[in-house]
Amino acid sequence: MKIQESMSISEKLNILSDAAKYDVACTSSGVDRKGDGKHMGNCLAKGICHSFSADGRCISLLKILFTNECVFDCKYCINRRSNDVPRASFTPEEVCTLTMEFYRRNYIEGLFLSSGILHNPAYTMELLYQTLYQLRTKYHFQGYIHVKAIPGAPQELIDRTGLLADRMSINLELPTAEGLKKLAPHKSRRTILGPMRQIQNRMEENRQELMVYRQAPRFVPAGQSTQMIIGATPENDFEILSVAESLYRKFQLKRVFYSAFIQVNEDSALPALPGGPPLLREHRLYQADWLLRFYGFEASELLSEARPNFNVFLDPKCDWALSHLEQFPVEVTRADYRTLLRVPGVGVKSAQRIVKARRYGALGFGDLKKMGVVLKRAMYFITCGGKQMYPVKLEEDYILRNLLSVKERLPFDLEHYHQLNLFDDCGVMR
Amino acid sequence: MRNEKTIFLCEDSVDGIFTGVYDAWDSRLGHGNVKLALKGRANYEMFASYREVETDGEKAEKVARTLRRRLGPEDYAHIYQAALSKEEERADSIYRVAVAGLAGGRSGSIMQNLQNPAVCRIFELSRTTGNEAHRYYQFLRFRELAGGVLFSEIKPENDVLPLIGDHFADRFPGEDFMVYDRTHRLFLIHEAFKQWVLVVGEEPDWEKIGKISDRETQFASLWRGFCRSVAIQERRNVRLQQQFLPLKFRAYMTEMNGGA
Ligand code: SF4
Repeated sequence: MKIQESMSISEKLNILSDAAKYDVACTSSGVDRKGDGKHMGNCLAKGICHSFSADGRCISLLKILFTNECVFDCKYCINRRSNDVPRASFTPEEVCTLTMEFYRRNYIEGLFLSSGILHNPAYTMELLYQTLYQLRTKYHFQGYIHVKAIPGAPQELIDRTGLLADRMSINLELPTAEGLKKLAPHKSRRTILGPMRQIQNRMEENRQELMVYRQAPRFVPAGQSTQMIIGATPENDFEILSVAESLYRKFQLKRVFYSAFIQVNEDSALPALPGGPPLLREHRLYQADWLLRFYGFEASELLSEARPNFNVFLDPKCDWALSHLEQFPVEVTRADYRTLLRVPGVGVKSAQRIVKARRYGALGFGDLKKMGVVLKRAMYFITCGGKQMYPVKLEEDYILRNLLSVKERLPFDLEHYHQLNLFDDCGVMR
Repeated sequence: MRNEKTIFLCEDSVDGIFTGVYDAWDSRLGHGNVKLALKGRANYEMFASYREVETDGEKAEKVARTLRRRLGPEDYAHIYQAALSKEEERADSIYRVAVAGLAGGRSGSIMQNLQNPAVCRIFELSRTTGNEAHRYYQFLRFRELAGGVLFSEIKPENDVLPLIGDHFADRFPGEDFMVYDRTHRLFLIHEAFKQWVLVVGEEPDWEKIGKISDRETQFASLWRGFCRSVAIQERRNVRLQQQFLPLKFRAYMTEMNGGA
């Protein structure tokens, strides 16, 4: 392990931001906090993206590892013990300075502090705690802080740290215990789910405390999140989405993030992905995740044992609608909010607008369009005042053909997306 | 002749438009017979008579207060944001929404009545202006001048400074900062622990602004380095980057400009 003795802050930032980039969560959402009129910082519930890197991902937080001097050896990770890479560690002071000076220039919403395991989990967690403690009490920073809970760290330390952070996360890393055992030998379901449960319980206690005493310190007010690596282990979409669903339900997570596996290490335990990271698969999982969180869908409605993977050619909602044509067409002037949400081309906002606007009078297709409904998708599934927009057939093959001819707006170029052929044998095209 | 249109020509500003609403209403010519337009921007119409509206802070304030009270703060916020838009037809649309909103026997929020074309237009304009303001929450960058003042320059299409002042003042209460809007030649000025103000008609002191603090170069370059190193090569996607971060914002963004 190479440890540079006296390294400039710029070299450290280079190494430790590069080392942190595979963590996909960069949102600053989930908490509204007005400024206190004295010190720097506030928070907006919907979060703010301050920049976008060359991969199109949002930069909202100063996302760094405290150290990449790690004693663990997770096979998928660039910082694993067995890799020969430059190593560095910040001091709490340095992290505070960077956060404050970046924030002041409106570069960031706050700090995302993660870390490799220096010496042992408790030691590392203590360093993270110290850093947050300084940032909050010495620098009086009121902006957003997302901090990792280190698997295996003592409960008491995680509790203390959570009182200083807005969000905490502990990565599930891989969807199943077997996957974890294979690729992250120093971690276990127990050391990950344990702290996750503990954070959840502590949040619940905190809710009670706040009801009794409004000034009580808040424990991770923006909730907790986690991340799973997609495509490093053989789980199918149904397994992954079911895991996400139970994390939302049983652990009340705010977000589950999916991270297409990127091969940074040569290792016989890792799959070869000649087509690059499975970005389209990751995209479909995010779409389905939205359906779980905001559209009232359940994992078992979208996928099943018999059909365990998403149709790569069609977004999960269209795909669901096509196999449930008996529930359509939906009459938009009467259908309840929940039903409207299930119509392809109707989003949360447009559904809300429809419900409000129709109290004032009749709706036409032109109005729907102005409210944000994507008619080229919705038109097969709705009537408006008893009429269809065009005479279309409510017939699976016909709609499928038409939907496929409308180019879907994907966040990347399909032509350059070789991953497609990997799924050819999934039998999702009918 | 009574049924010829009377066009009220207002100044291209929120106060100008609100004064126009006041005068047009007060003229009792009938809502159908009047129209609001902006001085210097309206297309000439035949068979119409024109009246110049003299901007009057008190009348404007009365209109603002009435709209806020009768339509509620949310609907008023839409109207106000639309008034800051760059589009000419906002003046008349605001008048139409005021007429519809203040009509008797109505209940609920007027801004939800999107079937009304003027409401729909104001909704769109409000959204566009609000979105642009939000872009500056995101993309506005400060640099530290010698002496410690934070300075930023933006070039928005709509008049967004009034919409972003509260946000930055709340965020940086103890900072002296300045934002210069090149398009509208307007300054947002915040002195530490004071209320922010807008200053019209001042040219920035370019010499002073050219002098950055000693540490500024270092932090700007640390930030550029950070933005480079967080990108994942295997996911490189400049098209997506451009979709979220349109080129027009980049000229004033620290990380999008070379330099040390
Ligand atoms: S604990 Fe595992 S994932 Fe985290 S830095 Fe160390 S090797 Fe990487």
